[in-house]
Amino acid sequence: MDFFSNLIAGLNVVLQPLNLTFCFLGVLIGTLIGVLPGIGPVGTMAILLPMTYGIPPTTAIIMFAGIYYGAQYGGSTTSILVNIPGEAASVITTLDGYQMALQGRAGPALGIAAFGSFIAGTLSVIGLQAIAPPLVRVALSFGPPEYFSLMILGLVLLTYLAQKSMVKALMMAGVGVLLGTIGLDSMTGQPRFAFNIPELLDGLGLVPLVMGLFGISEVFLNVEKIIQVHVTSTKISRLLPSFQDWMESKWAIARGSVIGFFLGILPGGGAVLSSLVSYAVEKRVSKNPEKFGKGAIEGVAAPESANNSATGGAFIPLLTLGIPANVVMAILIGALMIHGITPGPMLLKEHPDLFWGVIASMYVGNAMLLVLNLPLIGLWIQVLRVPYSILFPLILFFCLIGCYAINNSTVDVALMLLFGVVGYLMRKFEYEPAPLVMAFVLSPILEQALRQSLILSGGSFIIFLTRPISIGCLIVAAGLLATSTVSFLRNRMKEKEAENL
Amino acid sequence: MQAERAGGLFWFAVGLISIYGSIKLGVGTLREPGPGFLSFLAGCFISLMAAIVFLQSFLQRQEVVAKLSGFWKGLRWNRPLYIGFILVAYILALERIGFLLTSLLTLLVMFKGVEKLSWWKSILISVTISAVSFWLFNNVLRATLPKGVFGF
Repeated sequence: MDFFSNLIAGLNVVLQPLNLTFCFLGVLIGTLIGVLPGIGPVGTMAILLPMTYGIPPTTAIIMFAGIYYGAQYGGSTTSILVNIPGEAASVITTLDGYQMALQGRAGPALGIAAFGSFIAGTLSVIGLQAIAPPLVRVALSFGPPEYFSLMILGLVLLTYLAQKSMVKALMMAGVGVLLGTIGLDSMTGQPRFAFNIPELLDGLGLVPLVMGLFGISEVFLNVEKIIQVHVTSTKISRLLPSFQDWMESKWAIARGSVIGFFLGILPGGGAVLSSLVSYAVEKRVSKNPEKFGKGAIEGVAAPESANNSATGGAFIPLLTLGIPANVVMAILIGALMIHGITPGPMLLKEHPDLFWGVIASMYVGNAMLLVLNLPLIGLWIQVLRVPYSILFPLILFFCLIGCYAINNSTVDVALMLLFGVVGYLMRKFEYEPAPLVMAFVLSPILEQALRQSLILSGGSFIIFLTRPISIGCLIVAAGLLATSTVSFLRNRMKEKEAENL
Repeated sequence: MQAERAGGLFWFAVGLISIYGSIKLGVGTLREPGPGFLSFLAGCFISLMAAIVFLQSFLQRQEVVAKLSGFWKGLRWNRPLYIGFILVAYILALERIGFLLTSLLTLLVMFKGVEKLSWWKSILISVTISAVSFWLFNNVLRATLPKGVFGF
């Protein structure tokens, strides 16, 4: 009964004209940036963050959530039609989606991507609604040692799932923690690493950091290359998948939804990993795996369902524990903090309208996206024709103005540019920026939990090993580090043997 | 120089600098951790990881080792450089000559100077974007944009 009464309470919030408008704006912007290569939800949300000062927090979060899952919908369009993934989570969709387009089946590919996304998105919201409240009750019993160990586990998991080197990802997490200590010490009031710059006394801003590492550095990398977009000339005559298409896709959508939801909860898991895993699973369970890569509709349905389902799962650690599962969620924490709201287990008790409003908005937003994506595909194709030479100065300009408008400070803009250069070099040297941003967001909570735990225990680290939840988290983290080290050593030995042969 | 080694050395230095800074701030004791406690641990951790990256580079096979110079091979590396200079100029000029004029000039330089669009296209897009964004931020979002010496 609670399930439905909470849903109705949430719908009452989201159906207010202001919230409904911003939900629509969010999914519209999300689809747009999902379609456009070169700008993702992270950069867009960072640009829009200062604009949310003037609107209620629930409205702001509803809009940001819409941008996040809207981008996953939009990303499939470019993957299918031009073989360029608009979003990293749609990379795998290019394999079969583009092949389907070449075979004149772009319509059913786009259709199943949209329907699969809708079904998976809705299922994941149901999962979120069912799991979040009991998890909040568990989280309320957490003390500083549990929080510290949980965050350590989160950071290790994030780096474990890093696409490149785990050592580098761990190092970036360390850099994020270090950057998070800049500013006044919350316990002693002493300035730290502020270099006599008054703007740094409040700490480094999340927006300059994120805009620099993701927005500016992305532009720097793209302008070096020559991006040419060729939209396939295939006519998109029929968008509704046939009965046969549905039969072939139904289990792919179901499996994609489940995989996406659970991988979405993991720190660093998110939409990208879930789309890759669901594609691999689908290929493995298929009776005709040779069809994959040649235009199999399951190869579109599974990853597109999974990446949307992951967005719902990613909200669980944010809404229940106040811990972000990915960079997008880290920005949402920033948005909540701007309005004086601390995400975590108290959110449900203190701001039930926000909690249930955001969840209910995802049902409404997913329905809006279905309506937006199917009839408006022609419009999105036109958007794709906007050349990057016009797009990138606009992205830069909005980063500049958005960053300045937060504190009316050119120091923030200079920091954004500095992190843009750092991000550009990091990507060249294959250092991932995501663990850095995540650790930066977690750093103040991590520091407080660590110092409080040590004060509580009289300076003994044993406190982390005497509490069941804390030791459980640390054992899992240590296990992950050990397996990663063993697999690295095993690979090295194999390489050595191959060299000797 | 090998890219992995250069990266490892750089972050090792960052780690050492943060250890030094943390000690100056005051690391405190385990019973009473000081303001530099976490940054000290982070600095040690960064240095350790950087040392591993540096040492790992000696184990890599020569054919997979990336050279620093290889990062920019075949790319138009001068374009990020130009754009970087334009952004620095924007930061320096913004509060002196005001939002509208700085934005207009910056967009114009990017469209005409960097992207080589035609004059009329560059002017049209730059004027439209500057005016619309000024209206949006100044009038709708009530942000205080710098007016500069010309008063607009």
